[in-house]
Amino acid sequence: MLHLLKYRFLQIVRDYQMLFWALGFPMILGTFFYLAFGTLGLESTGESRWDGISVAVMEENTDSENAKAFLTFLNEIDGDTIQIQDISTEKEALSQLKEEEILGIYYVKETPSLTVGKNGLYESILTSLLKTYNLNASLIQEIAGTHPEKIPQALDEMSDYRQVIKEVSAGGKEMNPNVQYFFALIAYACLSGVFLSVKATFDGQANLSPLGARRSITPTHKLTLILMDMLLLVIIHFINILILNLYIVKVLGISLGDDIPSLLLVNFMGSTIGIALGIAFGCIGRFSMELKLGLAVVITLLPGFLAGLMFGNMKNIIETHCPIINRINPAAVLSDAYYYLSIYNDTAKFHRCLMILAFMSIGLVIIAFLGIRRERYDSI
Amino acid sequence: MIQIQNLVKRYGDLVALDHLNLTIKEGEVFGLLGPNGSGKTTAINCLLSLLRYDKGSITIFGKEMHPDSYDIKKQIGVVMQNVAVFEQMNVQENIDYFCGLYVKDKEKRKELVEEAIRFAGLEDFRKMRPKKLSGGLLRRLNIACGIVHKPRLIIMDEPTVAVDPQSRNKILEGILELNRQGSTIIYTSHYMEEVEQICSRIAIIDHGRVLATGTKEELKRMIKTGETITIEAIVLDDTTLSEIRQLPHVFDISYEEQTLKVRLSSAKHNLIRVLHYLQEQDISFGRVFSELPTLNDVFLEITGKELRD
Repeated sequence: MLHLLKYRFLQIVRDYQMLFWALGFPMILGTFFYLAFGTLGLESTGESRWDGISVAVMEENTDSENAKAFLTFLNEIDGDTIQIQDISTEKEALSQLKEEEILGIYYVKETPSLTVGKNGLYESILTSLLKTYNLNASLIQEIAGTHPEKIPQALDEMSDYRQVIKEVSAGGKEMNPNVQYFFALIAYACLSGVFLSVKATFDGQANLSPLGARRSITPTHKLTLILMDMLLLVIIHFINILILNLYIVKVLGISLGDDIPSLLLVNFMGSTIGIALGIAFGCIGRFSMELKLGLAVVITLLPGFLAGLMFGNMKNIIETHCPIINRINPAAVLSDAYYYLSIYNDTAKFHRCLMILAFMSIGLVIIAFLGIRRERYDSI
Repeated sequence: MIQIQNLVKRYGDLVALDHLNLTIKEGEVFGLLGPNGSGKTTAINCLLSLLRYDKGSITIFGKEMHPDSYDIKKQIGVVMQNVAVFEQMNVQENIDYFCGLYVKDKEKRKELVEEAIRFAGLEDFRKMRPKKLSGGLLRRLNIACGIVHKPRLIIMDEPTVAVDPQSRNKILEGILELNRQGSTIIYTSHYMEEVEQICSRIAIIDHGRVLATGTKEELKRMIKTGETITIEAIVLDDTTLSEIRQLPHVFDISYEEQTLKVRLSSAKHNLIRVLHYLQEQDISFGRVFSELPTLNDVFLEITGKELRD
């Protein structure tokens, strides 16, 4: 068994063309991203000049203690995390929100609320601020009543809020909206496992290649060959993704967060999805390998595009008009998972991503397995 | 050893195998001769349980063949029509990999791989990748991968396609050597010379049916042609051609581009009789040669078409 694994491993890693598509191309693309807007992104978000997120504050009912405390809370962080704009009417605020001149509207009332125009990093921070306030409302009310000037200091101690702000202030890189491109890039790289597995499927199916026929008539059980191939492909592609992670973190200097076990888990699921997708696709129809590899470019780039690989705001547009696509597009789910891991520490949403990825992995592995387990064919 | 009974395989309306019947005995070099598209490869793929078939039965070593007949597969070696090796592995690694699919014991495998390399004459190329090998060497590697585990039954599907004559002879010698070592061989080809050279028994197949089976001699005896006389650079008119057709034992003539071909049934002095007639008519001619029937003649007579049509 080890003998067969060894040779199959050699065969896969020596297939430089497929490895280029699975690893080399995403690395080159990442380098281009970095060169094209890496520095620009940092400047635009202000590593050295952070002005805060522009918001409007609508005072609907300031009679209650909670509303007063929330207003104090907002005023204390004005100029730091947020930048309250001088807008007096809700109509004007909504109009500016639509024009993206402000990114959110806080409503000061008994139960404070927030309206945002879209989903993105800054909107996530605004949401997180409100959430942090709600979770710690009684404490903040007390501080607001006695020492309002100490609110920012108190906020620093509050975990959810601190995590977001810490990410923002720790050099500003994570605030770079362009970092989303790198998450989409890793997601795309995960799907690029398709190239490795399409090729491997050709090598294993008697109706697709002479090599597949030769391997199918040996006394080694087909299930053994399939599982061996799948295992090796997932491991090899997992290593590819780890190399890409290292390149992005160590060479390009983009943080993927500190939660290494979760990062590895997402990488593993992403690799599994890419490989299984390729196997399932590889055994459909009897097209030439060249055509299938051509189509593989489409089935990796299209989800990547929809996840924001070429146009950063794509995922938000889809979220507004057809959110289901973001739930079923593996690249979008993977990119979200990397985002929640490295920037916006939302455990619930991260777990939702993990669940979706787990379902996708298992589902695709089952489909792939059913596709390649055939031992006899109608035509060869 | 192998029994194929009433095998039917259809691709939609096309009948690829039409109640094919074959019996192959242990120790034979059995030739499956037929033109392209006659059903040879389909029959082999059905035999190996790679293809679903509509009707019939296949038994190998006395047991019915199924996709999960691993005990049977263990004793079969296959040399595919197309070269089936990994481009990313060198000669030795390829042979070792395929051997590993049959033989688990490391020492035994090492021994077998060396033997296969020697057998295929690939000693000097063991570290070379397939891309660097010539067509002939590549075919030899393809054969080495198929026979490395010393199978009891070797199926070779046109293993010499696109091979130079020197490599072809080496391959054919190798096949006979494998047979001498005890392997039964099924050899499919549309090269009648090869089949004639190495096969002890031959089945002629066309349109998915076996048209005739037997040894070379038996097959040749089945047909009318006993001798074919070819006369080059000869100018004949219709009357003369008609008279030649009337000569004793002549049953068919063809005349194209000043070349006359006369087919005669088996009889003494056929050539002398034809030449004597030409001398009497004072007809001059160039080269003359006489041939005994070939498998091509057998095929031509049985199917009405040339083998390489």
